Amino acid sequence: MYAFALRRLLISVPLLLVSSMIVYALVHFAGDPLRDLEGRNPPVPPAVLEERRRLLGLDKSLPEQYWNWLTGIVTGDFGPSVKGIDIGADLSRRLGVTMRMVILAILLAVILAMVVGVLSAVKQYSGVDYTATLLGFIALSMPVFWLAALLKEFLAIRINQAIGKTVVYTIGESTPGLEGGLLTKLADQAGHLVLPTIALAAVNYAAWSRYQRSSMLDVLNSDFIRLARAKGLSRRRVMVRHALRCALIPLTTVVALDAGAILGGAVITERVFAWHGMGEMLLNAANDQDVNRLLAWLMVSAVIVVLFNLVADLLYAYLDPRIRYA
Amino acid sequence: MTLTDSPGTAGTAAGVKPVLEVRDLSVSFPTDDGLVQAVRGVSYRLMPREVLGIVGESGSGKSVTSLAIMGLLPRTARIAGSACLGDQELIGAPYSTMQHLRGRRISMVFQDPISSLNPVYSIGWQLAEAVRAHHDVSKQAAADRAVDLLQLVGIPNAKERASNYPHEFSGGMRQRVVIAIAIANDPEVLIADEPTTALDVTVQAQILETLDLARRETNAAMVLITHDLGVVAGVADRVLVMYAGKPVETGTVDEIYYSSRMPYTLGLLASLPRLDDRKGGALRPIPGSPPSLLNLAPGCPFSPRCTYRGDVCDEQEPELLEVAPGGHRAACHFSDQLEQRREAPVLETDATLQEELA
Ligand SMILES: Nc1ncnc2c1ncn2[C@@H]1O[C@H](COP(=O)(O)OP(=O)(O)OP(=O)(O)O)[C@@H](O)[C@H]1O
Ligand SMILES: [Mg+2]
Repeated sequence: MYAFALRRLLISVPLLLVSSMIVYALVHFAGDPLRDLEGRNPPVPPAVLEERRRLLGLDKSLPEQYWNWLTGIVTGDFGPSVKGIDIGADLSRRLGVTMRMVILAILLAVILAMVVGVLSAVKQYSGVDYTATLLGFIALSMPVFWLAALLKEFLAIRINQAIGKTVVYTIGESTPGLEGGLLTKLADQAGHLVLPTIALAAVNYAAWSRYQRSSMLDVLNSDFIRLARAKGLSRRRVMVRHALRCALIPLTTVVALDAGAILGGAVITERVFAWHGMGEMLLNAANDQDVNRLLAWLMVSAVIVVLFNLVADLLYAYLDPRIRYA
Repeated sequence: MTLTDSPGTAGTAAGVKPVLEVRDLSVSFPTDDGLVQAVRGVSYRLMPREVLGIVGESGSGKSVTSLAIMGLLPRTARIAGSACLGDQELIGAPYSTMQHLRGRRISMVFQDPISSLNPVYSIGWQLAEAVRAHHDVSKQAAADRAVDLLQLVGIPNAKERASNYPHEFSGGMRQRVVIAIAIANDPEVLIADEPTTALDVTVQAQILETLDLARRETNAAMVLITHDLGVVAGVADRVLVMYAGKPVETGTVDEIYYSSRMPYTLGLLASLPRLDDRKGGALRPIPGSPPSLLNLAPGCPFSPRCTYRGDVCDEQEPELLEVAPGGHRAACHFSDQLEQRREAPVLETDATLQEELA
């Protein structure tokens, strides 16, 4: 198991290296970072252009530029921003904001998908199954921004009215300038998290619960479940120790593969709820033609996706002995 | 393999009660195309320590009969009739009742050892689980018992192999493990459903020997299901031949082999490879194929493939009637006329059917 983990970890390194090259090349050929200045009227003095070019390292050859950038980000230096922003500091703050929503949404979606998927498999063609199927397809067909708007308009207002004060927030990731202790701050953040997390979790929950249902059905029809029953095990033990345990294996892969899509969904969700997270950073960087900010964003996303896959692989190996010894 | 030590008439002495008595068991499955009548009235008695062979072609309802007895059929199955394990009725018993009987008093070895074991748990774990399902013993005690059981069924280096996973075992080895699980709690009845069909011919004999050993070790009565009459000859005391969901002949091994009264059985016998075949002739398979169990036509279901058929066969399905004193029964309108045949007979095949086969 440890050898397997180590091997998987080592494979991530070349994987990240290749993605860094692709990312760098994509951004490099996507457009001229100086176009904004060059097109101005009255023209920007050539000295200013020259200065900017030197600042961004554009006077060097492409491999040299790439190498400088790469060695920079490994040591935490993401290079200068055209807007004079400290990219590293900005990024780490935004990353915290976004990942708190993403991880919570994944957890919520996985747990719900497991429970609902297993229930509707065990009670196939029952009321529970049909209801879950219907809700699943509704959630699946609802665009994130639409669901988010609905949640804002209806759910949030209802809840707040029912309680009599604002506990569920619809804008931002926290209340700016809030005074109070750690507990107050946490409660405030949680209140801001509720709606975006639900919006982001919904669509993945729907897909994953369908997946969990079919993998559970597969397992339930397998010979080893019949043998487990023939041994005289209780229903519960057959379901949990034998069926569910095996039906979880395929889900880990699917969740890992969807990690990239969830990051994409987070960008949209953040925009709807006006969060100052990674999504906003991407949009601003693109608007500002801020090459290094864009690169930083892309690279961090690549790392996150690779990390998710690593975790999924390790989980997979933990769950399935056939992989562990392969 | 030698004939078993228990006599062919095991348990027929007065006063001995059968361990398993199946009466008029029928099973049907509603499907989109209609009702599939998989089992249409099976009855048999299994005496203590007796070995009953159930023989029949693929699809004759052998597995469904056994699964109905074990309470392992899907919920869609419609089951009628009765199956008593001692005094306990099994058909319709709730899960909680079956849970305490399965694996303890009645066990089953399945057709496909490759997929019968859970891929994510070690062999030893799965065996120990079977022990602990019915005995309140410590994990260590169960693990020790698991190793003993593995040794008993002929797994070399049982202690080390116990920590292996199913994918590290061959098909034959896996079937040994499944047999070990089946006898873990010394059951009264052991049902082996084609335990060797999915295996390499070279290991089939070994598995049958292991099964026989396991049976003798636990003193269990056994139902051995197969589509090979040759396998049954070596192990069984009595034989039940099934066709299209129904028993068509039953009797002792000798009665079935040397004085069969049912053309289907005769056909099965003729299709056996024979060591004493002087003429070196080809094997004679029964021409044609079994009928669909969906909307069965009236009459004898075997008649389209039968060389002895007469007009009555298309009108009336023959009942399973006694053809000789002592329990030899056959379901054939012409069983009287088959009486003279002593040797495993030659079944002349119909010319038209022969063409169909070609
Ligand atoms: N769940 C089910 N739904 C519908 N039909 C079924 C179901 N299970 C079994 N059958 C049908 O019942 C019939 C008997 O099947 P069974 O498995 O008992 O045959 P078998 O004698 O064991 O054959 P084999 O030698 O191939 O194992 C078959 O025609 C099969 O298609
Ligand atoms: Mg079968």
